[in-house]
Amino acid sequence: MTEPLLEVVGYRGAFRSPTGELTPVLHDVSYQLKRGLITAVVGETGSGKSLVALSTLGIQPPSFRRTAGRILFKGVDLLSMDEASLRKVRGRQISMVFQDARAALNPVFTVGRQLADVFQLQHGGTRAAAMAQAIEALRLVYIPEPERRARQYPHEFSGGMAQRVMIAMAALVCQPELLILDEPTTGLDVTIQSEIMTLIVDLCKGRGLTACLITHDLGVVVETCDEVVVMNAGRVVETGSAEAIFTAPKNDYTRKLLAASQLVEAA
Amino acid sequence: MITAAAPNDYVALRVRGLKKHFPVAGGRKLFAVDGIDFDLAAGETLGIVGESGSGKSTVARCVVRLIEPTAGDVWIDGKSILGLNSVALASAYRQIQMVFQDPNASLNPRMTVRQALHEPLQLHLKMPLQAREARARQLIDMVGLTVVHLDRYPNELSGGQRQRIGIARAIAVEPEVVILDEPTSSLDVSVRGQILELLLDLQEKLNLAYLFVSHDLQVVRHMADRVAVMYLGSIVEIGSSAQVFGMPRHPYTRALLSAAPVVKWGEKRTRLRLSGEISSPIDPPDSCRLVGRCPYEQPSCTMGRPPLMAIAKGHSVACPIVVAREATAQLTPSIGDLMTTTS
Repeated sequence: MTEPLLEVVGYRGAFRSPTGELTPVLHDVSYQLKRGLITAVVGETGSGKSLVALSTLGIQPPSFRRTAGRILFKGVDLLSMDEASLRKVRGRQISMVFQDARAALNPVFTVGRQLADVFQLQHGGTRAAAMAQAIEALRLVYIPEPERRARQYPHEFSGGMAQRVMIAMAALVCQPELLILDEPTTGLDVTIQSEIMTLIVDLCKGRGLTACLITHDLGVVVETCDEVVVMNAGRVVETGSAEAIFTAPKNDYTRKLLAASQLVEAA
Repeated sequence: MITAAAPNDYVALRVRGLKKHFPVAGGRKLFAVDGIDFDLAAGETLGIVGESGSGKSTVARCVVRLIEPTAGDVWIDGKSILGLNSVALASAYRQIQMVFQDPNASLNPRMTVRQALHEPLQLHLKMPLQAREARARQLIDMVGLTVVHLDRYPNELSGGQRQRIGIARAIAVEPEVVILDEPTSSLDVSVRGQILELLLDLQEKLNLAYLFVSHDLQVVRHMADRVAVMYLGSIVEIGSSAQVFGMPRHPYTRALLSAAPVVKWGEKRTRLRLSGEISSPIDPPDSCRLVGRCPYEQPSCTMGRPPLMAIAKGHSVACPIVVAREATAQLTPSIGDLMTTTS
């Protein structure tokens, strides 16, 4: 067993209302992301799966308060880092792909420019070199005619193509050790979804990336992930290998979630 | 084909040659729905599946004239509704009702559940207050909620509860046909299951015919007796659920089904991949809409739109290549038989 790349330990948190009341939403969340593996964090709306991931990058909503726990990245607690050191981690070591790629991209800059900006920010070098890297990254995520597409704006990309751009930015341009994907295929059609998931798996396995896939769709998980963390109402209810979770779930909620996802078998 | 003969009595909803072309900039036209025919028998569920942009929601909306179709005709219970004026159309809505995808948007936020349920009873059935109240209580019970929910506002209900209210409103006037436009797409899987069970239960009790529009293949397979697969405004394959899901024939259907993940450990899929992405529905060429993406493309595919052709009882495919192959494939296994992975 390799040492985990990221470890969430006893993480608790609450939302603070305008009157100062705290509503606990995360209860003692603990899980690990093992190096080189793709770990899925699954759960339904409001289970807290995204909140933990956002906390990793220090971009949780302003009304959220941590009440206990640590998130250790290579043994260092991300939650106690100051903004300057967190900046060094963001992008360079941990990067994130969001659900709505077209909303995550800046609408007023060309896609190539955004990728090149990120490349220069992370790795320095000349503008021309950065742009060449940007185009190369687009090519690697199978965007046809990358030179032409790099000159286009996000609105000229379809949802699936924009998600490829986000993956190019997060995985190839940033070159992180940990890639967090927050519902990367939600809202995409199944044919596009399966292309995007193939791309994600190929990139992660090809580059030895550690990935955390946050999703509510167990169908995506079963084919792509090595480990699974099941969350419900702010708690981790079960963790295990994908095979164990899908073939021999121990927790009642996991079983219910599986049954609800397998309509045909239940019929 | 459109005929002057009166439709059969048992067909609850009949759609012929339905077209909807939206004008877009530059005098061009977006062919959202381009010639659709189907029948929906009483008590039956017809699933319409397709990806975004295939026109499936436009079909649902044209059928109830929320969008005015460009051409074609829709009969409900043997009566054409496209020529009706607004008063006559309103009374036709006694027969056909709709459940929308987003129950947040389809319920009036300033009406309590009671008011929302009373409204259709008053408008369509002119029921007196007491009868309305009794019916509202009956409806709320039928959709698995209790009388305490009658005084709630939509914002006090969960997504699943709101969808139950949407369903209660739709069945309030005892229609024959209910159009379900992605009724579970905004719900979590556990709630999705409950809503689908409710719909099946109500269908059995009330002999409702459902036109079930969804992008979720698993849900459609669970619900539908027959399935129509749409791609860029046309039906490319239609047949019983067992035919379409068990023996998909059209290249697009096969690509779509093979892309859908199955929540089962160790399940291996043989993908049929289409190149590129869905092409533009704006002024498409007069050819098979899959040209440029299809792995089985032949030069003849660019000559005119292929019509739906029967390959088995109740199973039609809009692909002459597949139909020709099927005819000669009685002795040798067809390409489709290699694709049994979704079963």
